[in-house]
Amino acid sequence: MHVAEKEPEADFEPLLQLEMEMGTFLSDWHHCDQLSTFVARMISHNRTDPVRHSNFFSSALNELLEVLFRGGSPDGQIGCAVYRQGPTERVKLTFPCPPRQRHFLNEAVAKARRGDALARYLDSISADLAPTRDAVLLDLAINFDALIHLEDSAPSSITLVVDLPLEGIVT
Amino acid sequence: MSSVNPSAPFSAEFDPNSQEFSLAGVVRPRSADEIATSLSTLKEAIEEVRGVLYINVKRLIQMNNTAFHAFVRVVLDACRARSDLRFVIITSSVVGWTTRMFAHLNKLEPQITVEVYDSKFYPGQNFVENTSFIPILRTQTKMTWRHERAILPRHGMRPGIVMADICCGIGDFAVLVQKEFQPARIVALDHSKASLAYARDVAAGFGITDIEYTYGDASEMLLEDNQFDLVTCRHSLQIFNRPDVLLGELYRICKPGGRVYITNEKNSHCLGEPRSQSIQWTYNEVAKLFSHFEMDVELGPKSRRYLVDAGFEDIIVETFMVTNLDGDPRDFADVIMAWEDVYAGEMAVKRGDSAEFIQRFRQGFQDHIFAALHPKGYAGWPIWVASGRKPL
Repeated sequence: MHVAEKEPEADFEPLLQLEMEMGTFLSDWHHCDQLSTFVARMISHNRTDPVRHSNFFSSALNELLEVLFRGGSPDGQIGCAVYRQGPTERVKLTFPCPPRQRHFLNEAVAKARRGDALARYLDSISADLAPTRDAVLLDLAINFDALIHLEDSAPSSITLVVDLPLEGIVT
Repeated sequence: MSSVNPSAPFSAEFDPNSQEFSLAGVVRPRSADEIATSLSTLKEAIEEVRGVLYINVKRLIQMNNTAFHAFVRVVLDACRARSDLRFVIITSSVVGWTTRMFAHLNKLEPQITVEVYDSKFYPGQNFVENTSFIPILRTQTKMTWRHERAILPRHGMRPGIVMADICCGIGDFAVLVQKEFQPARIVALDHSKASLAYARDVAAGFGITDIEYTYGDASEMLLEDNQFDLVTCRHSLQIFNRPDVLLGELYRICKPGGRVYITNEKNSHCLGEPRSQSIQWTYNEVAKLFSHFEMDVELGPKSRRYLVDAGFEDIIVETFMVTNLDGDPRDFADVIMAWEDVYAGEMAVKRGDSAEFIQRFRQGFQDHIFAALHPKGYAGWPIWVASGRKPL
């Protein structure tokens, strides 16, 4: 089980938080690109190499937003918060999640955390015609060294927590 | 939010002459159908080539998993159908995620190899990115700043602007600009990690936190179009083998109405008295030596032509002469000594010059230092400053 109780970001410094109606978010595919580019620029400006950090971070966040876009329903809100601790940015995406979807998401997170994540990732590149939700989370775990878990949020919502140690990768 | 996608445009092109398929820009489609034309171009390229297909993703700024899977699918299918074909994927050391993502393909198909484009960036790279070049850069900036601080306002420098210093070297120019003119934002880019590390240390030492130092390829930058009021690029066009390509990038990132400011030399015009003939001979040879390594240190007076050809307007060109009379003549001598170390001690040796040539070559530098330190001597190093405005 990889759904944890919501815990305070004790050692993480809050950098940015935004909320958006799901209906608005789902109205245009380009919102994924626009949001990820904007958030990446905002949080990267005081990193050692802001331009490259922003490029890396945008790539990861866009994938997460695209997962939400593809599986999202127009009710409720999407929340995106970014925190920092040392070389790591923590992204917390909170979104409406019916029980059935919660189960699949939990499975995908579990696969991304397992020791055979690389083999699964290579299988997904080799076999899948289009990237699945599992493949995207595996991509983040393998190519971005992401640590992923889920937290329970308000009823019928869930929070996907992704720790991205990009400062070390970029520099 | 606007429904307009502001990201850099995406392109997929095939050059049959070099058997190279290139992807550039930002590609984040919702489905593979949106990039069907690009996928077809890749399939046609695979049909056409023999031996090796190069897939160049150096300028690929963003690619989502949907696009990645779609392009990879085509390549993997081709590997299975054509055992005679090899694929070489060229990624950039600047865009780190591309190297990480594409590197896995070799584990799936040994016909695919991934090369990181870095070391052969331009022919003179090894000389100018060597840490031995740092003393030259530091002393040169100290000498030229005395002139440039007065010149820069005529070329668009003013408080509050957003500026980029491309090929920033050890970043000392950016620090001086920050202290003197207080621009709102400075992005300083260079391709030497050693120089950037030095730059960050210097900035930290001065307590300066608002210069964004970034590692990048000046001829293919990650920076977006039309974002800077002033783009400076000092002593760098002259050491690129394709200065027109670099200038095109400076133009691209400059705002319409903003200016691009370049400085360059004409080394054969370095002068000194006494011993002028020996000095003249050596600096003529400096120009030939750089030309051997595809660098044009005679570029200074050509700045106007380059700016015109790149599309700039309202072009301003001026010159100044750094001399031994500017402050301490020992500073001038230090610059020349550093030149001698790299030009005679490294570059001439690398070219395979004879010991006799190198001895005479060194003598000219020594005579230039003699002139600089002579109580009645005069030594000069001319610089061409030019800037142009990007049309609105």
